[in-house]
Amino acid sequence: MHAAPHYDFVHATAAIIAILALLSGLTLLLVKQVHEQVRAYAVQSVFAAGYTLLVGIDRVDAALIVLAVWTALIKVIVIPIAIDRAVTRQVSEHEVPLVVQVPMSLLIGVTLAGLAYWSASALPIHGALLPSPALGMPLSLVLIGFFFMITRQNVISQIVGLLTLENGVFLATVAIAPGLPFAIGFLLLLDLLPAVVFYGVFARLIAARAKTTSIEDMAVLRG
Amino acid sequence: MAVWLLIMLALPLAAAAAGAAIGDRPVSGWLSAVAAVGSFAAALVVVFAYHVVRGRDALDSVFFLDGLSGVFLIAVAFVYAVVALYSVGYLLPGIGHVRLRRWYWALLNLFGLALLATPVIANLGVLWVAVELTTVVSALLVTSEGSDQSLEAGWKYIVIGSAGLAVGLLGIVVIYAAGVPTLGDHYTPTYNTLAHAAPHLNGSLVRAGFAFVLVGFGTKVGLVPMHAWLPDAHSEGPSPISAMLSGALLAAALYAVLRMGAIAQLAVGPTYVHVLLLVFGALSLVLAALFTLRQTNYKRLLAYSSIEHMGIVSLGVGIGGPIAAYGAFFHVLVHAAGKTLAFFGAGDLVSRYETREAGGVRGVIRAAPFTGVMVLLAALAITGVPPFGIFALSS
Repeated sequence: MHAAPHYDFVHATAAIIAILALLSGLTLLLVKQVHEQVRAYAVQSVFAAGYTLLVGIDRVDAALIVLAVWTALIKVIVIPIAIDRAVTRQVSEHEVPLVVQVPMSLLIGVTLAGLAYWSASALPIHGALLPSPALGMPLSLVLIGFFFMITRQNVISQIVGLLTLENGVFLATVAIAPGLPFAIGFLLLLDLLPAVVFYGVFARLIAARAKTTSIEDMAVLRG
Repeated sequence: MAVWLLIMLALPLAAAAAGAAIGDRPVSGWLSAVAAVGSFAAALVVVFAYHVVRGRDALDSVFFLDGLSGVFLIAVAFVYAVVALYSVGYLLPGIGHVRLRRWYWALLNLFGLALLATPVIANLGVLWVAVELTTVVSALLVTSEGSDQSLEAGWKYIVIGSAGLAVGLLGIVVIYAAGVPTLGDHYTPTYNTLAHAAPHLNGSLVRAGFAFVLVGFGTKVGLVPMHAWLPDAHSEGPSPISAMLSGALLAAALYAVLRMGAIAQLAVGPTYVHVLLLVFGALSLVLAALFTLRQTNYKRLLAYSSIEHMGIVSLGVGIGGPIAAYGAFFHVLVHAAGKTLAFFGAGDLVSRYETREAGGVRGVIRAAPFTGVMVLLAALAITGVPPFGIFALSS
């Protein structure tokens, strides 16, 4: 009789985290300032780490708990600070030119989330603690990340979009394959660091050359 | 086998470390060339001395080799070896236009290491890491000429490539999840493990997983419509790097698709995998051929030709059957050799004529007979004129 309340509490907490993670993804579409986008990513990563921690505690899996701590350290603290220091402070303008304006972006974002949930409902899979369809929220983040990258013509925004997409894949891994060997999860997280360093190098090169992080003018190569 | 595999991977790693420590000195280039040729020799020993046709694990299932990995291993090892040799000359003062010389050799050898590891890694998660490593390293090499165009090309490449690979990783995760009911929560996702359990994998999940893998890794292969990065990266990078991208990277990424396609075929039958490969292959072949016709930049033309050739290989595998598969895999080898030669020739033309526009290149046979003959032979080889390999395949 004691198991039921625990079960309900854990599942309810996971559902709330999933909703908050999805909302943080949609929030990205609302903000125009570069540093706000980086913060929105950090908040989203808090939920990614929180969900991993919850699954780790529920399964009594030390590897997942360590992964959650690493996720928090790298995605919530190290990466946002690194991006901020590497580029954001070097340029004078911080507002990102939008290909699609905010109201329409939000509408498309919600539609993409609906599409993700509809697609995921066709897959016969149960996620760790998440309400069905388990892949709905992670796939939503993947699609929102793609959309964000395509419609924000700024190097930092595109990095944030890419990292959002990666957060979606990470959450999918924890949701449907929490037993994936720790070494692989750890490798993937480590792999993110050099990738972000390389993105940072690129972003700095672009910013140094044009004194802007906008990529509106990067359209010489066509056809 | 394990010893030779380790030698094959240790040589580029050591050369990368030496390149990082020594920097832009001739000795870095020669060390890299020796390491790359040594790796190629070790790859040949691994493939031919150990009869890999039936598939073998090595080093406690860290590595896996079969006929499929053997073909792709030879292709990438050959291209890495000849690119390292060619780069020694290309980086001489006044020849190539490489500005990022300090890190060129370290990055080239890391690129080679990741490419060599891809066809022999047993664990699908680690295979993904190897392919991801190729992206971050080669994107910097693409920008190493330091022009605005190369920066644009490198940025497009790293963003599109990384996004594609994230989707590829999602595919691996979904395929892993398909095995959980049979193999348990904690299992190592090696090819052998999944292949043995294939008849019991969840079919819907395997189908979804392979679709993600095809779109994700297909981005790195340059399959249409995920090819947007490829013409820019191939045309704006230094020519040896263009050769490496075209002859080795596309092949390595295609290997990842085919390796996971093999698991999907065992799980859900060949039709699903074949149809997807046929569709993407045909689309790539037709659209790349159309784009090729309007190119005036000869390096860009070669890039579209690479998309076309990857489309042909995908079509060959998609048609199915041993003869089509033989043709497709042989095509990987002849494309690697022919396209590498073509990009080497293009590199020499860029150095001599200071332009990538075909209209600005005249009288090559008189000005540089050796380069002219080589470019002509390469063009004939990749367009399938007899007696070259692609003609033999089509007949």
